Amino acid sequence: MSELSSIAAAGGGNRGVEKEFSRDPKGSAKTSGRSRDPARQLLPTPVLLCQRVSKWYGPVIGVNQVTLELRPGITGLVGSNGAGKSTLMRLITGHVRPDIGRVEVLGRDAWSAAAKRHIGYCPEVDSFYEEMSGRQFIETMARLSGYTSGEARRRTGAVLERVGMSGRAERRLRGYSKGMRQRIKLAQAMLHDPELLVLDEPLSGIDPVGRAEFISLFRDLADQGKCLLVSSHELDELQKLTDHVAVMARGRIAAVGSVAQIRDRLDDHPLTVRVDVARTTEEGGKDRRRELAGALLRLPDVVGVELLDDAPGEEDVGRLLVRARNPRTFFQDLTRLVLEEWFEVRRLQTLDESAEAVLGYLLGGRG
Amino acid sequence: MALIQQPRPTAAPQTSLLRAWWFLVLLSWRRQARARQMVWIALGLLAFTTAMTAVATAADLWHRPRFRQLAVADQMMLDALVPGSPAQAVADATFGAAGVAVLTDQSAAQVFARWVVAAIFLGFLLPLWSLSFATEAIGGDREQNSLIWLLARPLPRPMVYLAKFVALLPWTVGLNMGGFALVCAAAGRPGLTALRLFWPAVLCATLAFAALFQLMGAAFRRPAIVAIGYSFFLEIILGNMPGVMKRVSIGFYAHCMMLEAADRHGIQIDRPNVYWPVDGTTAIIVLLTTTVTLLVMGMVVFSRTQYHDSV
Repeated sequence: MSELSSIAAAGGGNRGVEKEFSRDPKGSAKTSGRSRDPARQLLPTPVLLCQRVSKWYGPVIGVNQVTLELRPGITGLVGSNGAGKSTLMRLITGHVRPDIGRVEVLGRDAWSAAAKRHIGYCPEVDSFYEEMSGRQFIETMARLSGYTSGEARRRTGAVLERVGMSGRAERRLRGYSKGMRQRIKLAQAMLHDPELLVLDEPLSGIDPVGRAEFISLFRDLADQGKCLLVSSHELDELQKLTDHVAVMARGRIAAVGSVAQIRDRLDDHPLTVRVDVARTTEEGGKDRRRELAGALLRLPDVVGVELLDDAPGEEDVGRLLVRARNPRTFFQDLTRLVLEEWFEVRRLQTLDESAEAVLGYLLGGRG
Repeated sequence: MALIQQPRPTAAPQTSLLRAWWFLVLLSWRRQARARQMVWIALGLLAFTTAMTAVATAADLWHRPRFRQLAVADQMMLDALVPGSPAQAVADATFGAAGVAVLTDQSAAQVFARWVVAAIFLGFLLPLWSLSFATEAIGGDREQNSLIWLLARPLPRPMVYLAKFVALLPWTVGLNMGGFALVCAAAGRPGLTALRLFWPAVLCATLAFAALFQLMGAAFRRPAIVAIGYSFFLEIILGNMPGVMKRVSIGFYAHCMMLEAADRHGIQIDRPNVYWPVDGTTAIIVLLTTTVTLLVMGMVVFSRTQYHDSV
């Protein structure tokens, strides 16, 4: 495992992340996003507590040893498709149960009905009781929460107003646009005034004006002391909303903190990269592996290069292990070197899975 | 969008679990009204069976030819007797129209009960009609991915399951009992006799089937297919096997209730030494216990199952 383990551990859960970003002596990945209420920040019980949570779908692992502690404020959850964001959200909202570990919302098991009083969930699933109007649907959700008819009507009117749907709520849901459906989903999540709002891709399908309204609404909720976990696969989008993000990759929380913090720490820590290169050109000639090793050592961010033994049956491929600082600069230099000197790179692999994922994400690739 | 200025819902929850549960019963009952494919199939079968029964009634197929011949022979004998003689009085009492009518009615009720009620209705229509609504109770929400809205609310899962069952009953009981009454009415007097005798058996079997098929909806992704498979293989094939094998089917106990009711009326649907029935009281207890057991099992399954595909 590379030294980047302090940012993102490859084999030991999220401990690396915990050590680096935690302000909690117990070492949990603790985040407290945007909130102006200091009293809320000091709540003895975190709003959400995930303790070494793992979830498998048959042989496939969906969430891998995630430890997360959220207090009031907005936390962004980013990661590529399939990174485990939705599974984590389903675990938090008590729709699936962890195979290992524990998920608690205000000290209650997330699976329990008692916890659901404190959770508002805006799922990615886009199916409703299509025969109902938007207003009927929200009112139905309010009645299912146990409110009286009058109280349900009052709350329905209030949340529809908040999501900007009060003038369009009489139409049937089956005729709604994606954006309107998102607003209805958000409205039902806010209906019972929960402490924790779990919003799965809430900005997806919303036009720019709507996005600005939603972002303003989320900030308003955070200012009221609510805890929001907002997922997206677009980091730029989340950065407009909050400075606190958790990067998810391959089922793990690879890094938690502000984007700047994560980038800085990636730059500060050497990265180990394996490079496989063709030993000879088509015209024959010198050992290209040694040439590449020499060229790499001249790069300012390269700390060391190790020549690895040839793999059996692949004697035409030379293998190198490169240790470098400032990954972003290093990869730019490596790309330029390969193109200028015409090295035939057969394989390029970051040997720290989580770091690779974070890097991939921050550099605009896949996590 | 004036976000901050809008009135906000109050934080203090004035909520009631019982109120939420009752609302879910009403909501589920209303949503069950939206007939789907299986319900249309059930209604089609009801229309077909009623029509066929009416045709059979018009063709007088419920009366056995032997009884019709006996009635004609008796009448000829009565006609041959000297009017006013003592022999005529005795013959009237023995072979008279009233006696023949009772015998003929009993015979028709027996034919109708054996071939329509026991074989077609109990063995085929009742399970099929029951599953048409019952598999939709949970299965419909799973199929439409709308289960998430119920599971996101603070109602305990066993209460959600129970509410679905209560909401299901008016539809299932209505279809089965109403359908049974319609088929019986189409059969005329023998049908009305069968309706009076056998409605408790139909009701008890309906409850048990409803509980079973709702459980299948909670346990399987394609409950209608599993329930149809169960109905054909377990209820029809195993339910008609000789010996004690058939005792695992729900239809067997409903059949036993019918046998006892028919026996009290002087009708024999099946020969007891061949069918090996249990007594009517045992049958009722088994059916009601099965209903409760399946309901509780369903609540447990629903409470523990993670519906990955529906949330």
